[in-house]
This record gives sequence, structure tokens and C-alpha cells, in this order.
Amino acid sequence: MEEERVEGQIRDDERVEPPHVTILHKTRAWRLALRTGMFLDRVPPPREVPPELEDLVWQKRKQLRRKWDEMYPENPVFSQEDER
Amino acid sequence: MSADLLLVSNHDTEQWAEDGFPARALRSSDEVREAFAATSRRRNPVLWIADHPEQVVPLAAEAPLVVTNNRLLLLNEAERFQRELLQIVFRIVLAPGEGVHLPELDEMKDILAAPNREDLLVGGSTDPVNQLVLLYRGNLQPVVVPYAWFSRRAAAPRPDFRDFEITDYGQTVRLGKYEASVDAVLYAHDPEYRRKARARMVEEDASFGGALRRLRLLKGVARSDFPDLSEKQIARIERGEIKKPHASTVTAIAQRLGVEPSEIESY
Repeated sequence: MEEERVEGQIRDDERVEPPHVTILHKTRAWRLALRTGMFLDRVPPPREVPPELEDLVWQKRKQLRRKWDEMYPENPVFSQEDER
Repeated sequence: MSADLLLVSNHDTEQWAEDGFPARALRSSDEVREAFAATSRRRNPVLWIADHPEQVVPLAAEAPLVVTNNRLLLLNEAERFQRELLQIVFRIVLAPGEGVHLPELDEMKDILAAPNREDLLVGGSTDPVNQLVLLYRGNLQPVVVPYAWFSRRAAAPRPDFRDFEITDYGQTVRLGKYEASVDAVLYAHDPEYRRKARARMVEEDASFGGALRRLRLLKGVARSDFPDLSEKQIARIERGEIKKPHASTVTAIAQRLGVEPSEIESY
């Protein structure tokens, strides 16, 4: 469970647009777009996310997109899967 | 070391200072009195952190009756009378107990030391009578959120307001099985936070339509849920096909979304 929290979360209430997963580490958070795989914010700097963690989250994108669509049916990621 | 963060230290929090906690440490009752005298007339808020009420209650006996901007975070419970005394001396007092929840101490230390502590939460409580959630940011600025705001998403678990907790180092509000990101709470309730959050974004659709789409989705309202406007009209505005909607249209949209017309573009 703790490991999942570090990998990335979609909470029941997020800023809805654009769809994203949040990587939480202690007091910091990085929002990774589920449509494009790009970080949404400049701060905190995306370069501070360990690349292996980013890769791990992105590898789970299909599950995360499905989860997002279930949680936020009014703003789905998109209708077809894409590749980065 | 921060001039606006003071730590009334004892043996439990002494380690914080040694760990580089960014506050000025006050180690004796004389230092506490002097710091209070020096800060009581300051315009900018000063955040005091104390482990036990006994460390700061004596200030009530000698403090001049002035309105200060000092704010106090107590890490342990205070008796009702102690709390009343402290509310004379400090503009805002946050202490655990009587329904107030604070994060775990280890998390609290990291939250208070974070440069963005005002964007994290250090405590809160729920009020079933008035159906409100009262949240405190890391600078002790309160944020009041109606129960209804947490209950507006049909696809989310039902919030349990009797089971309230601040988790993830001040980044999540948990109400039973339901979790809200503090980012979403502040984005919805604080225009200044919204401005800063938008400035942090790598890129965004800064048009009226982009702001309307973000606000509509934040409120959980479907395009078809605007009584006097068609779904197609809303879609055209959001896509930028109608760049400057008529004032009456903007008013109708704002009314449905519960904001002032001029506020829409801030989302």
C-alpha cells in the first residue's frame, strides 16, 4: 500500500483537467499527464523525480487511464489508447 | 532559519532544531517573552509552534491587549481555559482535541519545514451541525469547505465526515474511504492559490473556454446541465469557437457554476 502511494495516486477529488496521476513524495507532488506522459507543472522540477519511478508509473498507464475514466467519467483520458 | 517561524522548544522538539528545522528556537521563558514583545505588533503573521500550552500560557498574564498577527500551533492538547487564554494572545490557535485532527508528528515537522507549507494542511475538523469542514494551512490560514463540495462527484465513494484525517504529509484530506487532494481543495477555494498554480503549469489553455472547461469539470457539472444554454453552445465556447460569449451567457454560466462572472477566467 505504501509502495503504491509513492508510485502514483488518483484521488477521488483532483483538479480534473487535464487527466493525470500524482506522484507523491512526502510534502511534494508531481502531476503526470495521462494523455501525453508529460509533467504538467514546472514546480517542483520534474527532473527531481527518479527516472525509474517515472518509468514505473508510465508502465502502468493503461491501468491508471482505466482508473481515471472510472473515477472521472465526465472527462475521460481519451477514447483510444496511445503510445508515448 | 525563518523570521516568521518560532519554535518554543523543549526536550521533545529540541531535536527539530538540531535537525535544521527552519525556525528560531526559543529555549527559555525569557526568550519566549522577548520574542512575543518583538513580534506582537508585526503586520506579517508569525507562526509559533509549541509542544505544550504551559510554554505559552504565561504570555496571557502580561501581554498587552492588542490585536496581534501571531498564530499558534500547539502540538498537544490544551484545557478549555488554557485555550481561551491563548485566544486572547494569539489571533489563531490550532491544537489537537475536541474534534481537531493534526497529522502525525513526523509528518507535521516536514510540513512545517517545507517551503510551500501554506499549500499543505496541518489540521482541521468537521462540523456536522453546520455541515462544514474547517481546514488549516501550514501558515494556519483557515479554509472553510462545505460538506456538499466533497459530495458532488457521483463516481466517488461517499465521504464519511466522522472519519476525518489529513494524510500524505498534508496533501490529502481523507473522509472515510474518500480522498481529496489538497491541491483541488485550494484550487477551488482560494483565488490566489489558483493564480500561483496556473503560473506553475508548463502550458495551459489560457482562453475563456479553457478556464470554463476547468471550472465546469472542477464543479462536476455536465455540459448538458446549464438550464438556459444548449450543450452545443457550451462545447463551442470551451473549444474557442465562440471567443467572446455575450454577457448574458457568461452570467448564466456563472450562476449555474456558483461563481461571479468575472471569476470564471481565474480557473
